[in-house]
Formats: sequence, C-alpha cells, structure tokens
Amino acid sequence: MCPPIPQGTMSGLGCEAGYFLSAISEGARADHYNFSAVTMLVLLGGIFLIHVTTIILLLVATIDNAWWFTDTISTDVWGRWIKANGVWNLTDIPDFYPQEYLQAVQATTVLSCIFSILGLFVFVAQLFTLAKGQRFTFSGIFQLIACLCIMIAASIYTDIFHRKENDGWYGHSFILAWISFVLTFISSIIYFVLRKKTA
Amino acid sequence: MLLFLTLVSAALVAIAPQSQAIVIYTGWERHALVGSEIRLSCSFFSWRWTSEDVTFSWNYRPDGSRDGISIFHFTGGLPYLDNKGPFRDRLEFVGNPQRRDGSILIKNLDFNDNGTFTCDAKNPPDIVGRPSSVRLLVFDKLPVQAGVITGAIIGAVLGLLVLIVVIYYLMRFLVARRVFSLSVSKHGKKGKGKEGSQQRQGPALYAAMDQSKLKASASEKKKQESRKDKK
Repeated sequence: MCPPIPQGTMSGLGCEAGYFLSAISEGARADHYNFSAVTMLVLLGGIFLIHVTTIILLLVATIDNAWWFTDTISTDVWGRWIKANGVWNLTDIPDFYPQEYLQAVQATTVLSCIFSILGLFVFVAQLFTLAKGQRFTFSGIFQLIACLCIMIAASIYTDIFHRKENDGWYGHSFILAWISFVLTFISSIIYFVLRKKTA
Repeated sequence: MLLFLTLVSAALVAIAPQSQAIVIYTGWERHALVGSEIRLSCSFFSWRWTSEDVTFSWNYRPDGSRDGISIFHFTGGLPYLDNKGPFRDRLEFVGNPQRRDGSILIKNLDFNDNGTFTCDAKNPPDIVGRPSSVRLLVFDKLPVQAGVITGAIIGAVLGLLVLIVVIYYLMRFLVARRVFSLSVSKHGKKGKGKEGSQQRQGPALYAAMDQSKLKASASEKKKQESRKDKK
C-alpha cells in the first residue's frame, strides 16, 4: 500500500511519483531521500523524454518519403514525389528498384516504430510494477530490438539504393533513421543499467 | 394457405428481376509468364434460371489500340473459337455454361497478348448488363507483388513476439503450479503438529511466484514504512 499522499500533490501520477513528491515536501528530516527522489524523478523524466524523441524520429523516418532527394524528386520508401511545373505529385516507386530489398526496408522501419512504441508502454508499466533494485529489462529489450530493426533498414538502404546516382543527396528521413539508431541504442543501454532506486 | 404462399412467391420472382440486371464477374488483372498459359474466368449472376440460350462472348483489345476484336462466342450450346485472329489454335473453352462459367484458356502467351479482355454474358430474358473486363499482363519474369514481403516480415516478427510472451507466461504458470503442488504434498506428509506453519508457507510460495513483483514491492513499502515510523 502507498503511504497517504498529502494534499497539493498531483493526483493520477501513481503511487511512486506521489511518494517522491511527498518525500520532497517533507523537508530536512529525510535529506538523502530528498536527493535520491529528485534525481530519480529527473532521471526518469529524461529517459522518458529520450524514448519519446526516438519514437518521433522513427515515425518521421518511416512515414515521410524523404530518404533521397534530387532537384526534382523526393523519394523512398513508400512512394516518390516528383515536382512538375512547381507542383509536387506522388507517384509509384519505379520498377527498377530491387523489390525485395525495398520491402525489407519498409518492413523493418515499421517494425522499429512498433517495438519502440511497445517499449514505451512496457516502460510505464514496469515503472509501477517493478520491485526495488530491479532493472528495466523488458523496456531495454524492446528498445534494443527497435535499434536492431532500424539499423537493418538503414544499412540495407545505404548499401543497395542510389549507389550509382551522383546527382542527388540523402534526405532528412535517412539522417533521422541513423540518428534514431544511435538514440535507441543509448536508450536501451540506459534501461539495462538503470535500477529502480526507490519502491 | 400453401397455395396462397406459392402464388405470392411466384409473383415476386416474376416481378423482382425486372429491376435487376445480369452482373458479370471477371478478374481485374492477370499476370502471366511468357510461354505459359492463362485461364481467364468469367461468370455471372442472374435472378433467372440459367436458360438454354445462354451466350458468352469474349472480346480482345490490345494495349494502345482503340478497337477490339471478338475472339470467342458461345451460343446455342456450342463454343466458337477464334480461327482467323491472333489467338487461332491457342484458345480453348474450359467453362461450363450450365454452371454459369464461361472461362477460356489461352496457351503459349506472348508479349503481343498484352491487352484487355472483355466478357459479355447474356441469359435470356435477362440480357441487360455491363460487360466486365480483365487486363492481361505478360512478363518475362514475374515481379514481386507490392507489400507481400513487407507484410510477411512484419507478421512473422510480431507473431514470434506473441509466441514468446505466451510461452513465457505459460512457463511461469507451470512452474508456480508445480511448486504449489510440491509444497502441498510436503505439508500433507509431515502431519498435524506442523500443519499450522506449513499451511501458511504453501499458498504464500504460490502467491509469491505468481505475483512476485506486486507483493514484493508492497512488502518493501511496508518495511520502509516501519523503518520511517521508527525514525
């Protein structure tokens, strides 16, 4: 059971957060509780923010057709935007693309989004059900799988597509895919290392 | 009463189809390899019984051409195949008109066979209807359909995830049951003297295994509370 939460604290945050906040408001008597509670809250907030950021980056990389740009086109992985007479039109990806690799990139980007979002839900659930001193293993595992998936997608894309074309450059979705690979990796490491300091 | 019902139903059957038309079904698009054969299916729906004068006609319009030519006609119970046009000696009638199937088989496909095939069926007196077209695409190498591999990969990985979660919870459940039954049998053998203490252990173990995280955190909180109270 949770200790009674004094008035003035936010309701609906759950037992732990309420407990942290009551510990803070209790004052000088429990100084080391103060310190660890505040740092724990800040740490959790930071990790949550990183996780949400990776989800947003992954979503942009998956949904926006902007992996490769030239002066007139913005393409991959779902369709191709072609600029004709100042108007952008969405067309199909041309047939000379190797279909298996393209569909593999599509599938792995979608999978990385799914796993990252699932990981967020698992993290919030573990926050309330984990015993003291245990690690956030499941959230870490989900973020690691998401990292693996987006790494596969970005690697396949870098190695297979647009190798011989010199008149274009990589777009923001491509860059965000690689950045989210790094961020998901860091995030999963943090989940594996972090222990729940207070119950 | 029965006579009245049959009269009413017969009247309905006679009246209703006046507003309905014959509906013809073919495919939308067909893909085939060069040199292979393809079966173009055509069937129809009609409120009337299949008449003996049912007719099927197939019309072919090449890609890029505005006119079509007739390549097949079934009437009076007999099929008439193309014997002068591009499909001579390559057509075969594989349908069953009495079962409303007017399918044809084209053998030895070539790139010149790319085009639109239109099927028109008539079931006298139900003759008002729209013909339906199927587009034939001939490839030298069959391309992968859009999204097949994508869907397969996503489905496989998610299915694997669900399987792992199910197996994990099943294992936990089985281990908990085994521990519970072991502790119960132990308590049964040791006799009445130690019954009280043992009884508390068994279910506690089972409960601990099953809801370990919740109970552990609750007991931890209780310990912390008592520690705080002492201070």
